[in-house]
Amino acid sequence: MTVAHPAGSSTLAEQLDELGQALEQGLASAHTAAEVEAIRVAYLGRKGLLAGLMSSLAKTPPEQRPALGQKANQVKALLQEQMETRLRELERRKEHELLARFDPSLPGRAQWLGSLHPVTLVTEDICQAFVALGFEVVEGPELETDFYNFEALNLPPDHPARDMQDTFYIGESTLLRTHTSPLQVRTMERKAPPLAAIAPGKVYRRDSDLTHTPMFHQIEGFLVDRDVSMADLRGTLTAFVHKIFGPDTIVRFRPSFFPFTEPSAEVDISCMLCGGRGTCAGKSCRVCKQTGWLEILGCGMIDPAVFAAVGYDPEVYTGFAFGLGVERVAMLKYGIGDLRMFFENDIRFVSQFG
Amino acid sequence: MLLSLNWLRAFTPYEGTAQQLADRLTMLGLEVEEINRPFAHLANVVVGRVLDCDRHPQSDRLSLCRVDIGQVGTLPIVCGAPNVAKGQLVAVAKVGTVLPDGKEIAETVIRGQTSRGMICSESELGLGEDSDGIMVLKGHFNLGHSLARVLDLNDEVLDISVTPNRGDCLSVLGLAREVAAEFRLPLTLPQTELPEDGAYCDQAVAIVIDEPELCPLYQARIIRGIRIAPSPAWLQRRLLAVGQRPINNVVDVTNYILQEWGQPLHAFDLAKLVGPTIRVRRAEEGQRFTTLDNRERSLLDSDLLITDAEKAVALAGVMGGANSEVTEATTDILLECAVFNPTSIRKTSRRLGLSSESSYRFERGVDQPGSALALERAMALIRESAGGTVLRGVARSEPRPWQAPRIAFRPQRAGKLLGLSLDETFCRTTLQALGCDVIEEDQSVWRVTPPGSRRDLEREADLIEEVGRCYGLDRIPSVLPRAAKSLDQLASLAPKTEFRRRIKLWGQGLGLTEVVNYSFVSTQELALLGLADAAKTITLRNPLSEEQNVLRPMLAPGLLQSVRHNQTQGNTTLRLFETAVVFQPDAGSETGAREPARLGLALTGQRHPEGWPHPTESDAEPTNFFDLKGMVEHLLRHLRLPAATFRTQPDHSICLPCAEIILNGEPCGWLGQVRADIAESCHVRRELFLAEIDLDLLLRHWAESVQSFTTLPTFPPVRRDMTVISAQNLTYAAIQEAIQSSDMELLQNIVLVDRFLPGTKPETEEIRHTVRLTYRHPERSLTNEEVDQLHQGLCNRLQEQLPIRFS
Ligand SMILES: [Zn+2]
Repeated sequence: MTVAHPAGSSTLAEQLDELGQALEQGLASAHTAAEVEAIRVAYLGRKGLLAGLMSSLAKTPPEQRPALGQKANQVKALLQEQMETRLRELERRKEHELLARFDPSLPGRAQWLGSLHPVTLVTEDICQAFVALGFEVVEGPELETDFYNFEALNLPPDHPARDMQDTFYIGESTLLRTHTSPLQVRTMERKAPPLAAIAPGKVYRRDSDLTHTPMFHQIEGFLVDRDVSMADLRGTLTAFVHKIFGPDTIVRFRPSFFPFTEPSAEVDISCMLCGGRGTCAGKSCRVCKQTGWLEILGCGMIDPAVFAAVGYDPEVYTGFAFGLGVERVAMLKYGIGDLRMFFENDIRFVSQFG
Repeated sequence: MLLSLNWLRAFTPYEGTAQQLADRLTMLGLEVEEINRPFAHLANVVVGRVLDCDRHPQSDRLSLCRVDIGQVGTLPIVCGAPNVAKGQLVAVAKVGTVLPDGKEIAETVIRGQTSRGMICSESELGLGEDSDGIMVLKGHFNLGHSLARVLDLNDEVLDISVTPNRGDCLSVLGLAREVAAEFRLPLTLPQTELPEDGAYCDQAVAIVIDEPELCPLYQARIIRGIRIAPSPAWLQRRLLAVGQRPINNVVDVTNYILQEWGQPLHAFDLAKLVGPTIRVRRAEEGQRFTTLDNRERSLLDSDLLITDAEKAVALAGVMGGANSEVTEATTDILLECAVFNPTSIRKTSRRLGLSSESSYRFERGVDQPGSALALERAMALIRESAGGTVLRGVARSEPRPWQAPRIAFRPQRAGKLLGLSLDETFCRTTLQALGCDVIEEDQSVWRVTPPGSRRDLEREADLIEEVGRCYGLDRIPSVLPRAAKSLDQLASLAPKTEFRRRIKLWGQGLGLTEVVNYSFVSTQELALLGLADAAKTITLRNPLSEEQNVLRPMLAPGLLQSVRHNQTQGNTTLRLFETAVVFQPDAGSETGAREPARLGLALTGQRHPEGWPHPTESDAEPTNFFDLKGMVEHLLRHLRLPAATFRTQPDHSICLPCAEIILNGEPCGWLGQVRADIAESCHVRRELFLAEIDLDLLLRHWAESVQSFTTLPTFPPVRRDMTVISAQNLTYAAIQEAIQSSDMELLQNIVLVDRFLPGTKPETEEIRHTVRLTYRHPERSLTNEEVDQLHQGLCNRLQEQLPIRFS
């Protein structure tokens, strides 16, 4: 680093001006903040060049002093500004060099990705929708008695409707529940109306093929109060369908039969793939098999026989119940084609959901 | 139930298309699954005339024919049928036709002679049973016209899924009643003329019912002097259209009436009935009986039998006996038309695994008052095609006559329950169209009597359903129920649900993959895991397979299944979790089981995901026991539960080594490395670790735990390390406990920072644990001298308590 010495012959005012020029040259050759600092000490330090010139101020005539003092201050401010400018310049250059070396496209340190099973996700979605409508969530045993699974639900022994649900038996009158409907009875036994509850859980049927697994998940919902009508049922289910499948989905009620509801209905929704038209781009829709409708759940008004089993007065109270298959909803929602994948637990399958 | 449209139109003049009918029936609760055209394959089969018929020059059995098929011209056809002759009108399958057996007609050369088509037999066309020779058409037909057209075979058949409550719709007549009501069409029953002659039937046979509850009605008619032969073509075709194989003119009529009226009938060869007497009674325990299918069945006294004066002749309502079967030689017939108790029939049919068209209908209930008409029509049809003399009258016994229920119906309640404003006229006409008798006793309450065919209509709710169904359930409006709940009953998740949700979110956050396994596994799998103790497991009585015959007593077998599947798919690194209940026998429970909730964890493979930036050297190692233990400890900390203690669990059947988890003094689960043979059975090449935690216990502690705030420390901590040298059998827990038991107020934290074995002779060498202790005073700064003194005091006490040294 070279620090230019102003010539001894010039006036103090000239010397001050020269100091500024010399600094400019010096700063231009400074490439680090430390070099800039060394220059600062040489020019502006307590024993620096400016201080040296200022000490000669006392030797100048008193009438010149105020003007020279003012000039000295201006030069000092100028020197400071030049140095700051240079520092900023150097800082910018450093940032620029850093960015030139920086590659944000390199991978980050990988963390394990956690996943929830689609059955869990869909169950949560559905439960949340009903909890928001004021339903509480209840649970019950997976191993059930014949009474709760069948008899109290208006399915006496040797009733042909038992064929609808092929049952795994454990003992003479104990079995793996074939539906979540026993929770209707268990909940009504425990509580007086009004009540509104949903019951998610595993259910079991003795059936295994491309479209059936011996275990699957159901969500049962029911509401009992005075003056509950099938229109309330339709309203509740429509609200739910719109939440899960979108507000444009059309809900259709089709008469059906369940021993524990009367009247009973199957609920179909308009096919989300073809929009209910039955065809996609001129080809028949593979999801709804050209019908435009998808069967999504079963429902109905709770049968008076069920109320009799739990001691509710069917003249005073009415209620509705519905049950839906979680895997079925998940298949429609995510476009999963093969039911059996749900229980193979291939991580490449489950990892797609979270 | 298969419904032929042509058959339906015999009862009601439905003029619309099959698709329109299917749509309306579906919306009436009679879901149409498919529309079939059973004779569609006949489109390319045409009427032809045999112009010439010569012996094939190279075969005695084959004929060389020239067949005129009208405008298209004549075809050379080589025919193997013995009955082919010049001048016959025949059915010709042209080249390209696919016959019902899947055979496609192609142009061929048979022993040097070109054949361009095939002259078909009835059975080849799926039109009958006759396969002895070609089908010869009688009458005047235009050559070249489609056979389907000239024989009126353009039938369409709806495949209807009938719900178990609608036994009445298992018949053409029942469905016709629905169609007539829906489209407001007339319903016409077939007119039956039945000339009778000779003796009175009830004098020719005696009917005795021992079990009136199981057989409320038994009636029979007798016809003598018939000739067993094939049924008339029209009847055969109706049966064929709905998938029934024609047999002979008696059996076919019983099948025909079953389809048309839903009333099962059974024809006995009268000559084989001793007495002749018909007796309805229970079987004797262990009695053996050979049914029509030539299988000997062992019976119970809950089975109902039809017997003659000496022997059993039919398993009532399920299947006839081989000993009284109608054969080619039969001339006299007793035709049974009875009503049996649905429950009894169902029990027998299920126990014997013998479900017939008859038992299926009896189980669902048949029309008791309507059965007499079915019997009369059956008799008329048999007489028409088999000849013979029908004896006068009916032999019948009806110990329990049908009592039609009289149901109070309130139109207002119907509207209220359905959420509709219903017109009373609509209610009345609907119920009447369905065959109900409606008496309006007063305006608000009606007396409704359903027809005998509708055994499902017993209560007001059933009638409301009928009205709603016919009005159209899809026309019910949407209304959100008003909440009648007060704010102190806010909807909430059950604690269990809420807790499980937290656990799942914890697992997901930690980078684990949730799995859901079947609750059942195989006894074989349990045996491999040493869990096959029958007293501790619950076995299915009727499993689908031996692979899934027992409920899992812990999550491990299912998790191992998931590990196995993933390993075979090449997914070698696994970090799995599952929450589910397991099943343990419990005689005290009403279900015979306890269902504790568990959390399972499975870990194998890499500790960190692959790729740059590379982890540190130890992180690059495969995952081990301490990764899993870290997760378990993390879970407890996540739930803000106290730390657990871990102690070796020897003789664990799945893991070696295995540690038991103790929370607040209670066992709360285990974790360990899966034994090599079990890991191998899961195709795991690296080490596999499993943990299983009692979620009920965790929930209990979690629900009881109270979180509260502790003031943040203001004075600085002072740290001191100590290296404890000992034999290898001294556990870290022993050191930790000894330090903790010294009960020093100012000691705030203990962390193991290093564990070191010099490693030249690892079996015998001493081990070094370096522990970092944090001292802190809540109200002032500690001086180095103070801490040195405290620390030295602790070291001295430890040395007195434990076989250790410090240098
Ligand atoms: Zn579609």
